[in-house]
Amino acid sequence: MKVKFFAFFRNYAKCKETDVPLYNDLRELLDFLCQKYGKEFEGKVYTKNREISDEVIILINGRHIAHLEGINTKLKEGDEVCIFPVAAGG
Amino acid sequence: MFGWTGKILRVNLTEGTIKAEPLNMDDAKKYLGARGLGTKIFMDEVDPNVEPFSPDNKLIFMTGPLTGTFASSSGRYEVIAKAPLTGTIGASNSGGHFGPELKFAGYDGIIFEGKSEKPVYLYINDDKVELRCAEHLWGKTVYETTDILLKENGDDFRVSCIGPAGEKLVLFAGVLNDKHRAAGRSGLGAVMGSKNLKAVAVRGSNSIKVADPEQFKEACIDARAKLKAHPVTGAGLPTYGTEILVNILNQSGALPTRNWRDGGIFENAEDTSGEALTEKYLVRNKGCFGCNIGCGRVTRIPDGKFKSTGEGPEYEAGWAYGADCGVKDLDAICKASFICNEYGLDPITMGSTIACAMELYDKKIITKEDVGFELKFGDGEAIVELTRMAALREGFGDVLAMGSYRMAEKYGHPELSMSVKKQEMPAYDARGVQGIGLNYATSNRGGCHVRGYTISPEVLGVPQKLDQLVTDDKANWVKLFQDLTAVVDSAGLCLFVTFGIGLPEIAEMLRTATGFDMSDEEVLKCGERIWNLERMINIKAGFTKKDDTLPPRLLSEPLEKGPAKGKVSGVPVMLEEYYKVRGWSEDGVPTEEKLKELEIEL
Repeated sequence: MKVKFFAFFRNYAKCKETDVPLYNDLRELLDFLCQKYGKEFEGKVYTKNREISDEVIILINGRHIAHLEGINTKLKEGDEVCIFPVAAGG
Repeated sequence: MFGWTGKILRVNLTEGTIKAEPLNMDDAKKYLGARGLGTKIFMDEVDPNVEPFSPDNKLIFMTGPLTGTFASSSGRYEVIAKAPLTGTIGASNSGGHFGPELKFAGYDGIIFEGKSEKPVYLYINDDKVELRCAEHLWGKTVYETTDILLKENGDDFRVSCIGPAGEKLVLFAGVLNDKHRAAGRSGLGAVMGSKNLKAVAVRGSNSIKVADPEQFKEACIDARAKLKAHPVTGAGLPTYGTEILVNILNQSGALPTRNWRDGGIFENAEDTSGEALTEKYLVRNKGCFGCNIGCGRVTRIPDGKFKSTGEGPEYEAGWAYGADCGVKDLDAICKASFICNEYGLDPITMGSTIACAMELYDKKIITKEDVGFELKFGDGEAIVELTRMAALREGFGDVLAMGSYRMAEKYGHPELSMSVKKQEMPAYDARGVQGIGLNYATSNRGGCHVRGYTISPEVLGVPQKLDQLVTDDKANWVKLFQDLTAVVDSAGLCLFVTFGIGLPEIAEMLRTATGFDMSDEEVLKCGERIWNLERMINIKAGFTKKDDTLPPRLLSEPLEKGPAKGKVSGVPVMLEEYYKVRGWSEDGVPTEEKLKELEIEL
């Protein structure tokens, strides 16, 4: 499966996208990414209580995880996960 | 007098007379300022059926009670008139420094009436107010006009003006101030042009008094701290600007592509993204008066034939010229956007009208003979050239200058115009984001996102996360966002503050600035009152329920890929609920009870 990074997440990942092994759910995937990309990445993705931070937008196949199963969303082969900082415009 | 200055200038361009009048404080309390108060004045003084370019149409510049104060992002003023593009009430606001300067000069606003025989500009230096000859400015760009007026009058003046597009009555010409900030939508620059009014140059030396300086300061500091701490207003917007949205909307499957024909995913979105703009073009970010967000982009096209500097593009402009025209060349997108500022055009309508022309060409409805050259989706050079041609009404530009609806209608295919009430919709596909579609359909100035920006909860999850694909309860949200936005616009604040603060903070700043004892609910009621007044003006101008809709494409052609695959817009379902939530009749007309409740006197 594929993970795509946007805005400053690219600075942590040092790439725009990466192929990763399949994980059971989003939490497992994020834990893997935090291990790989370090504390700064972790600090943007997770709160101190290991919940998803309000400062991040995560889409799985284009759907905001708030409208899936959140951090417990199951993953499957071929899924695409996008990680953005929360942003706005108009 | 607190918050407001208490004075309005009335300038009769036919007679060449100027007088200062007292502000009607009853109206100020009910309609706040800027958009609300300007609309109230329009309703009192102008027939809603007036021809937009008739001398009987009035052009109103209006600030709000918070404009120019210590409140963050309080650089806004509004321009109001009957709009030539839509035939609706036109109200378009802008940031920068012009609005605050007008208040420092001692005026809440200016009512322009009639039509000058020759080109003029209005000179304001505190109490010295004069109509001056502008024949030497006629034909000049926004940048040239601003530079000349600053040279003639002093660098401490602020200038709001039109470019060649406004002079030539391009139906979507904007009013530009401080060179790069635009009251861009609905063609109010063309109304200014029709009056032979080229510019307003203002300098002021007074301060704005507030009712309770200590409490006001505290309220502003509280709001500023919240804006600074919020990830959107404290980090996202200053770092990446609004163009950051390109990738988010594209990944969400809601970035309208090739005149909305090819769904909500643009394969070259990354090339046109905020990330790309930041990496290759950004010189620095820039804030308007008193703003601690600073979303503005000072940009430079570093080399090549479009080498130049300017500001932007904002997300909407970047999308209109980018995904909507299928263009991935960011040099060309930046250049076309720069030209809009320079010549005084609305880039949303301009880019969308070119996109519509590209589809007409693709379908062989128009040909090389009509345009003068080939016009294929993806052609970067064409978007630059056609923008210039439209601003000057050269060749095919004279057709583009009508906007997409009138152009597509001329060729027998109005359904290919992606507009509501003849104004082009912005950069969020209403099939992929349901609530924003209802907002487009019901916006009082036609297709528009900043009348009720439900993208914030529906896509970005701010302040809470709504599912963008469902229609349930969206009517309530749209009403709330529309009413709150009317408050923000009318207070003189930038809409972007609402990413970080809400009604309680805004109401507290309004109370402490004006001294008016209004509850949060009463402040929000002002927003609802303003919305209903705008609606009544449109109804009197002949608009009906049938105008509250979207282009047929969005109602009958489902998206073919992405997370919203298979979806069309649910506006027909949501609209009935919306009318109920608004307390309107089944035909979408505010009831007598509703008007009485809102104390709207017609």
